[in-house]
Amino acid sequence: MSYEERANAHPNLGDESDVEEEALVNDYREQVNFDDEMSDLDRTTSIDAASQAPDLQAQLAAAATPLEYQATLETKFASYDNYCNLFHYILNSDGPVDLEVPSYYWAWDVIDEFIYQFESFCRYRNRVARSGSNEEEAQLLRENPNTWGCYSVLNVLYSLIQRSQINEQLAAMKRGEDPMTVAGEYGSRPLYKMLGYFSIIGLLRVHCLLGDFSLALKTLDDIEMNKKAMFARVMAAHFTTYYYVGFSYMMMRRYGDAIRMFSHILIYVSRTKNFQKGGNSYDAIAKKNDQMYALIAICVALHPTRLDDTIHSALREKYGDQLTRLQHGGPEALPLFEELFRSACPKFISPTPPDFDNPAVNVDPVDHQTSIFMDEVKNTLFNPTIRSYLKLYTTMDLKKLAGFLEVEPEKLRSWLLVNKQRSRQIRWVEGGLLEGEVVSANDLDYALENDLIHVSETKAGRRLVDWYLRNLARVY
Amino acid sequence: MGVTFDKCETRPAHIEAILNGLDRYNPETTTVFQDYVSQQCEERTFDCYANLALLKLYQFNPHLLQPEVVTNVLAKALTVFPSPAFSLCLSLLPAHTQPFAEAQNTSQTSDFVESVQKLARLSTLLESAQYAQFWSTLNSDDLYADLVADVAGFEELVRIRIAIEVGKTFRQIDADVLEAWLDLRNGEALEKFVTEVCNWEIEKSGSSVVVKVPTNKENEARSEVKSERVGIEQFGRVLRRGFEQAA
Repeated sequence: MSYEERANAHPNLGDESDVEEEALVNDYREQVNFDDEMSDLDRTTSIDAASQAPDLQAQLAAAATPLEYQATLETKFASYDNYCNLFHYILNSDGPVDLEVPSYYWAWDVIDEFIYQFESFCRYRNRVARSGSNEEEAQLLRENPNTWGCYSVLNVLYSLIQRSQINEQLAAMKRGEDPMTVAGEYGSRPLYKMLGYFSIIGLLRVHCLLGDFSLALKTLDDIEMNKKAMFARVMAAHFTTYYYVGFSYMMMRRYGDAIRMFSHILIYVSRTKNFQKGGNSYDAIAKKNDQMYALIAICVALHPTRLDDTIHSALREKYGDQLTRLQHGGPEALPLFEELFRSACPKFISPTPPDFDNPAVNVDPVDHQTSIFMDEVKNTLFNPTIRSYLKLYTTMDLKKLAGFLEVEPEKLRSWLLVNKQRSRQIRWVEGGLLEGEVVSANDLDYALENDLIHVSETKAGRRLVDWYLRNLARVY
Repeated sequence: MGVTFDKCETRPAHIEAILNGLDRYNPETTTVFQDYVSQQCEERTFDCYANLALLKLYQFNPHLLQPEVVTNVLAKALTVFPSPAFSLCLSLLPAHTQPFAEAQNTSQTSDFVESVQKLARLSTLLESAQYAQFWSTLNSDDLYADLVADVAGFEELVRIRIAIEVGKTFRQIDADVLEAWLDLRNGEALEKFVTEVCNWEIEKSGSSVVVKVPTNKENEARSEVKSERVGIEQFGRVLRRGFEQAA
């Protein structure tokens, strides 16, 4: 039984639009490749506003509601069609549409859920192919290669961004001008503006899930990362943004910037006590919270930094023992790095249909990204060892130190070069997230004169102003 | 020193235009990016951000993937170590390439997978500063030579990168060590490279030859005390309070 027949057999799973027409559309969709796929939305059934009016509210609510965990493939396909129809209606009607959305957070919820379903569909599809156990589902997935296609998903997000002129609006706001002058017919309406705005965050997330970390950061060029940003008004959006930005920085080896991002949001959460009670997003946020602490632990181990006191004590509480082991480095720390990375990384996806005929070639994208990250961890595994020894001396003979460490002098030279290289990092100062300056990120520096290591340390002077101000505030 | 990942001085205007628009997803631009990769190989330039856009097109359209273009992109990324360029490229490759898998566990791996794994091996050696081993690995198998053949001046480019890294860490280095790291096996070649390309000096005393690296910002390793920066804004609250009380 093909998908069309299944859809016909369960009309209630569809989006209540004309089932026959829907089947035709699906039929048509199967024959198309890229060109048509990009304009997928134009072709799907358009909603006849008059006859659909009562259903629209249900559809809006459905689009922002998570699918059941056990949802069948049919439900997933139907949900995809549902989104296509809804976005088509929003984007391609005669002019902007007036929608009464179920809640203030609807725009975020719908984008969030849309991407989540894309992510889980891709992962499910890959798993079916990898395990090779469910022939029926594999066949169904094979027949519908374009459902939840990466081009359609990106098309939705980019279309919402363009329709709402959100990037132009944000740029105007940055210049201190009135965004309404560039918003246009669509972008001046709150619904379109919000959808466009959250689509930018959605893109950040999709690019990150696909392993394109630099493009993920580039996407946020027009958004200013501060508490006044629009995303800050929706807690889940605020949270998501910082998680993916921080993670992307980490994969670009900008650990200092990653720590800054994670710390910012974690401090914010720890101070916003209200959200902690109740709220249906609580579990999701609590989980992401722990994941970010794990990522901070990794970043701090790779790039020793002074953390904010709140973060530091929370980190000690959650990952105290593990943090010590990570910071100590060496081969024993490798499995721990990998374990934490896997528990805290996004659920990476492969955007194209897997090879159903060769289960073995469908490697989990999470394994792929983990192995890439772990290569860098392996390369820098002895940095802590080097640092802990050099801290003790002002000059040291290379061969003598090699003797202490029980390694060949040649190996020690490599370690010294690696540690020196990794202590120089790019750090953001101003402008887009991808910009930055090379800074020395370590208070320990050294240079070699043949086999003689000259060590120098940068010491921080006493910080008096802060102390003075704090006490002044207390008495005055 | 400002760094911007998405910019490149040598990038032509038409590539810039594609990168900033939605055409970066259009499969028809694949050939444009591929030509640009060849151009980078010939002209010894490197544009990581544009090459990632090409790899993304391959990610979305696997049937367009050209193995030799991918290996050229990876080989080019090797010439800018230490940097995340190589690993960012790997992140966009199909997961089945398993760049860091223990080789020879499957007999049916394709040539493409084998090439990616070989290049990843080279990357690991460069990133972990095992330069002597890098050269012996590179010279151990003709396959390596094939992989980097399209990149004009590959060895020269890598040598320069190694020299830059050495210059940051060393004030003086034994010529024997440097010879092995740069794979310049006779004294003359080393002397020529060190004096002409790097502008360093060679000092001979008896049997030992030492290369002297002039002082630069990175290799002076000066101790300093960072004092705190005090700005008037920090006192804003105190000052404001003073006025409020007066009023």
